[in-house]
Amino acid sequence: MMLFRPNAILPFIYPKNTGVSRQVLTCAARGVGGSGLTVQQAVMKWQEDFQVSGVAEPELSSQYIVAHVLGLKTLDSLGRRSLVQILSDRQTQRIWELCTQRITRKPVQYVIEEWDFRDLTLKMRPPVFIPRPETEELVRLVLDDLQKQGVGDGLRFLEVGCGSGAISLSLLHSMPQLRGVALDQSQEAVDLTKENAHRLGLSDRLEVLHLDLIKDEDLVLRRCAPVQLLVSNPPYLFTEDMNALAPEVYRFEDHAALDGGQEGMCVIDQILTLASELLSEQGHVYLEVEPRHPPIIRNRLQQRIMGLEYVVTHYDISNRPRFCVLQRR
Amino acid sequence: MSRVRAITRAALTQRGVIRHGAAPEAPANGAHVRRLHGSRSALAARILSVEELFSRSSLQGHLRRMEAEYERSLQRVGSAQPEGEDLRSARARLSALTPLVLRARELRVKLKESEETEALLQDGDPDMRDLAEMERDACQGRIQDLKRAILSLLIPAEESDMSDLVLEVTAGVGGQEAMLFTAEVFDMYQNFATFQGWGFDVLEYMPSEIGGLRHASASICGPLSFKKMKFEAGVHRVQRVPKTEKQGRMHTSTMTVAVLPQPTEISFTINPRDLRIETKRASGAGGQHVNTTDSAVRIVHLPTGVVSECQQERSQLKNKETAMKVLRARLYSMRLEEETSKRYQTRKLQIGTKGRSEKIRTYNFSQDRVTDHRIGKTLHNVHGFLLGEELLEEMSVSLLEFSEQETILDIIEDGASDVK
Repeated sequence: MMLFRPNAILPFIYPKNTGVSRQVLTCAARGVGGSGLTVQQAVMKWQEDFQVSGVAEPELSSQYIVAHVLGLKTLDSLGRRSLVQILSDRQTQRIWELCTQRITRKPVQYVIEEWDFRDLTLKMRPPVFIPRPETEELVRLVLDDLQKQGVGDGLRFLEVGCGSGAISLSLLHSMPQLRGVALDQSQEAVDLTKENAHRLGLSDRLEVLHLDLIKDEDLVLRRCAPVQLLVSNPPYLFTEDMNALAPEVYRFEDHAALDGGQEGMCVIDQILTLASELLSEQGHVYLEVEPRHPPIIRNRLQQRIMGLEYVVTHYDISNRPRFCVLQRR
Repeated sequence: MSRVRAITRAALTQRGVIRHGAAPEAPANGAHVRRLHGSRSALAARILSVEELFSRSSLQGHLRRMEAEYERSLQRVGSAQPEGEDLRSARARLSALTPLVLRARELRVKLKESEETEALLQDGDPDMRDLAEMERDACQGRIQDLKRAILSLLIPAEESDMSDLVLEVTAGVGGQEAMLFTAEVFDMYQNFATFQGWGFDVLEYMPSEIGGLRHASASICGPLSFKKMKFEAGVHRVQRVPKTEKQGRMHTSTMTVAVLPQPTEISFTINPRDLRIETKRASGAGGQHVNTTDSAVRIVHLPTGVVSECQQERSQLKNKETAMKVLRARLYSMRLEEETSKRYQTRKLQIGTKGRSEKIRTYNFSQDRVTDHRIGKTLHNVHGFLLGEELLEEMSVSLLEFSEQETILDIIEDGASDVK
């Protein structure tokens, strides 16, 4: 007779946590009114689906996408009501659309079309390179040094390979007295940097040029020099490592922003070659590189006369030699 | 020994409860600390007026002693005999005592003036009487100001009072209901910060399945924020019929609040070499090789084993900054705790272990009251209290006044017993 108590049946229809039978979910996906999935249930459902499909970071992916549809950055940030809140049909549908994209291994940053870099929220669009956390540290290094030196008005910097504009825009955002030139060989990157600059109200201090440092050498020198600072996160992967990249990176991000040639030094070498012509006296170069690069770069500067001095190697948060600071003699 | 210090200490040591989970057992009578105070118990429940404090002979005695010490220091400085350390200490003492002594002297003069004016109030000439009245009012006003100034000069400034803080809330006994209550208390403090015009940044937020809160922390900054918030630290108890309760039974649940002063960069430094920073990206190649959305950062302070984590932000650097902020607050309050226990080691009362497991306040919904057990103060309207506005402010002001009064009584009575 216990069986007839309604309370005893409920748990079978709505099992805790993982529960919510497939049927219920499929209804919701089709937008059947009143299906009443909660935020939590949607997160769990997609987390499981991602897991089954072998998508990396299934839990975070699901959370970030659901949070984004709710107009938030993270689920944590919205407080307690959210998790039990019932999703509207439109929200449910949008979550389904975006998560279906993620199943194909499209990076979360491209799926939700934005990501945070330091204080900024930037628009992200394939195939433009998605900024990595190490680069946040590169920007901090530059800013720390600039603050120590005490920067006068009108200091001008050059960024090589600006991608989404993360480095340039962070510098401009943190220091209102700076001006900059950013260049990239990809039209998509140039467009995205311009768009981000415009959204952040920084476009009046940033010139964005569609130029290739190697092919357009003369033009670069003519249009950019002199600058007091050169900063870059150039493509630095060794070509042989490209095949080992996760599908998120390999299939969706611009290889030109990743593949630095056999030793990962193609663009770096070109920067070293042009630096002394691009920089004004005592000007600095800040590079993010592969951990195998600092000794190679040091060697290059010793072997050839490039008018550059190796100043220091900085380590990233995981203690890898990641950043090189050079100075024009 | 004062309960106030016990309260403050509770604020400072609460972290220990959560982090180490090895808080010493509270004394058997921990919940009834007031009894420990014997002769003071009658006073403890209420806040004395300025007049009442000044009518105490111990306060008068203390002021006299301070004045005598001031004179002695003056002589030592003037005699030009002492050299070096001795002279320096006399000078330091002198400059520390000067504001107090000058006001105590002015107070004596004003009291005398007031007596004289009192006589003029009996004068036959009405003009003269009016004049005397005006004089007397001005005099009384000044006397009140002086008394207040003297009292606040008696309270030693605590280093941490000027700092900002990190607030931590953690659900205690009572399962989901405790977590629901924890969420309400966290909201209350968020509103209180807005009410006070302070900044409130959520650092961590770990919700429960049904909309409660397991643990959260926030950074609060603004004038007097630590001074006002420090008495919120301790165990808060709720008594009500939970939303989750089908049978209509009353439950008692608890949650814990910790209030950690946030040190400034200058006042407290950490050696970067003592830190181990862990991220998702630590394994593997990092950099351009890897695209991850896992921006969580965990920092371990190796010498102490204190850990701080943050995954609130999408930017790893932001998470690192937040984790550092929390870590600094935790390490700083550990240091303060050490200092405090050193300072009180010689004292007769074991205040060290109180506070930690002691419930400080009860929110009783069926009786619609909030009672603070430390000062025995009850306010009605629980929902109003949880809004974090006037009612919480009223409680907070009472706690602060009570605490300052306890400090004053402590100081003047300690001084009196030293003389004996």
